Amino acid sequence: MKKYFIGASLVLFGFLIAFPLFSMTYYTMVRTSTPDFCALCHEIKPAVIAWRASTHVNNPQGFVADCMDCHLPAPHKTFDFFFAKTYHGAKDVVKHFLIEEYDRKKNRDAAYDAFDNAQCQKCHRNLLTMPDKRGAMLAHRSVIYARPGYEKKCVDCHYDLVHNESVSIMYKQYRRLPYQAKGLRKL
Amino acid sequence: MKRVFHLFFIERRNTMGQKIICIAVGWLIVGLVLFGAMGPADAQPNFAKVKEYRIERSIPPEAVACIECHKATNPGLFDDWARSRHANANITCLDCHLAQPGDTDVAKGHEKYYSRKDLPYGEPKYKVPIAAIVTPKDCSRCHPDEVIQYSKSKHANTIEIIWKLDPWLNKGMNSDNERKTGCFNCHGTVIGIDENGAVDPATWPNVGVGRLNIDGSKGSCTSCHTRHRFSVAEARMPEACDQCHLGPDHPQIEIYNESKHGTMYHAYKDEYNFNAAPGTWTPGTDYRAPTCAACHMSGSGKVMGTHDVTERLSWETQAPLTVRPQDFKPFPSGTDWTVEREKMKNVCRACHGDSWINDFYNGFDKTVEDYNEVYFKPAKAKFDKLYEKGLLDKTRFFDERLEVEFYELWHHEGRRARMGVMMMAPDYAWWHGFYECKLRFANFMEAANHLIETGQKAYVAKDFPNATGDTQKPPKIFDKK
Repeated sequence: MKKYFIGASLVLFGFLIAFPLFSMTYYTMVRTSTPDFCALCHEIKPAVIAWRASTHVNNPQGFVADCMDCHLPAPHKTFDFFFAKTYHGAKDVVKHFLIEEYDRKKNRDAAYDAFDNAQCQKCHRNLLTMPDKRGAMLAHRSVIYARPGYEKKCVDCHYDLVHNESVSIMYKQYRRLPYQAKGLRKL
Repeated sequence: MKRVFHLFFIERRNTMGQKIICIAVGWLIVGLVLFGAMGPADAQPNFAKVKEYRIERSIPPEAVACIECHKATNPGLFDDWARSRHANANITCLDCHLAQPGDTDVAKGHEKYYSRKDLPYGEPKYKVPIAAIVTPKDCSRCHPDEVIQYSKSKHANTIEIIWKLDPWLNKGMNSDNERKTGCFNCHGTVIGIDENGAVDPATWPNVGVGRLNIDGSKGSCTSCHTRHRFSVAEARMPEACDQCHLGPDHPQIEIYNESKHGTMYHAYKDEYNFNAAPGTWTPGTDYRAPTCAACHMSGSGKVMGTHDVTERLSWETQAPLTVRPQDFKPFPSGTDWTVEREKMKNVCRACHGDSWINDFYNGFDKTVEDYNEVYFKPAKAKFDKLYEKGLLDKTRFFDERLEVEFYELWHHEGRRARMGVMMMAPDYAWWHGFYECKLRFANFMEAANHLIETGQKAYVAKDFPNATGDTQKPPKIFDKK
């Protein structure tokens, strides 16, 4: 009887420790996952302002793609996601104190290199059936079923989408002309 | 006049039936004369039959405006597009020509057409920014793999190559207009913006294969897939290549025409299926003998098709000293010639056994060795010696006879000999090739030795005409490096 009591107490003790720990971790994750949190750093603030004016925020679907939706590994890659988020958070704080000036162009290119198609394809999944965009259907086939040696990233053709300096807010529904990809970035 | 004549005629005959007939005929003639006079008022349209295109599929109204207006103003251009695979797939003018507001290459003159009431759809509500120049970058939006391959080729990078090698450009020995109408027509211009913010007319229009575009992309897909048909069939024909690959310095088309391949092409081209879908054009089935594209670009057997014309090469036969493509200093190919030769051999294997293929390559390799060792290297050594001794003047090129002789030895007959062997044209290999090399070599050596023996300086042409061209290497290409 005493044996069970000790066991049960340990389990209860474990819960008492683990639950707040888990909750706090979770709460921290939520708190640090918002664009407002990212904008706390002055280096990132312009990017967040530009993002608010982009079609990734303003569209007829009312859908909003947050910083993390694009810039971190897909959450179903749970380990990668937690690791990458913690690593970047820690690195950004250290860099904030170490670097003199934030090189926007360099970091932009680094971001393009870091993008993985899976990040875009979390939301953009129906890419092969676009009867009004035959060209896009053709190009998307060459990405989704890439010929060996010709693997491409979504951001190779779709870039300058979100973080553009703009005097007005872009609304996808008020776009008069159809959206077009800009062609291969590195030509 | 005629009517009076007829009435007079009738009175003399005085028969009732004849009278009626004559009056009727008279009126008929009057009628015909009057009707005929009306004819010229209905001016004939430029094109007797304008291609019809009923817009029955979803197209943005701005694109409908492009189509309807250009159908009226440039029926030929419209007709080409209407027959293209683009039109089949509902790819309209806008899909390629649409620019973003503020782009440097927006056609500024185009906006005025949106207020021209005399034109169909000439209304401001259809106004969109349009760029006249469509670049490989634009094409890459739908055809990325083709553009990736092409951008690695010597085709796309030809301006860089000629500015690294060519004495006409580097020494300013021809005029800007001679370059624009000659060299740059094939090699391409460096597109610039003039002081008014418009595309510089000295650099555009141009569809040269190595054109440097404002968006930074290189080349022009319309060099081979001409506007606005963009046909795969056209680019598979040797006629697509011969617009540039001809003449005394690189007579590829003449060589091809003389070769067995060319002979069979001309005899059987009516049976060729040039319109086969990409990746399905098959030797023996769709064509009997290969065209330029069939060997250098198209897929064949297990060899994948490519838009990089440099890919399957194992020698640079256009270079002064023949080298492997990876060792071609102005633009190393980044390939391994042994791999590439195996690819080309596999292309040959569609129709030839190994004994034919190996025999051909043995002859070709021996030719390259002969040209390099027996002709080029000794001539080059002598040529360098003349400069060393100060007998030739280095300031300019082509203004001394031996400079021209040396240039023609490698640039004209030396290429004809190597390329003639390479593509199996005996007349180019020998009479236009090595025969001419021999004479040139002997004359060159005789004159060079004479200068060396006498210590006499070569005559420098005082009257070299029109050597006024700009000698600055294009900064857009060379400042980046």
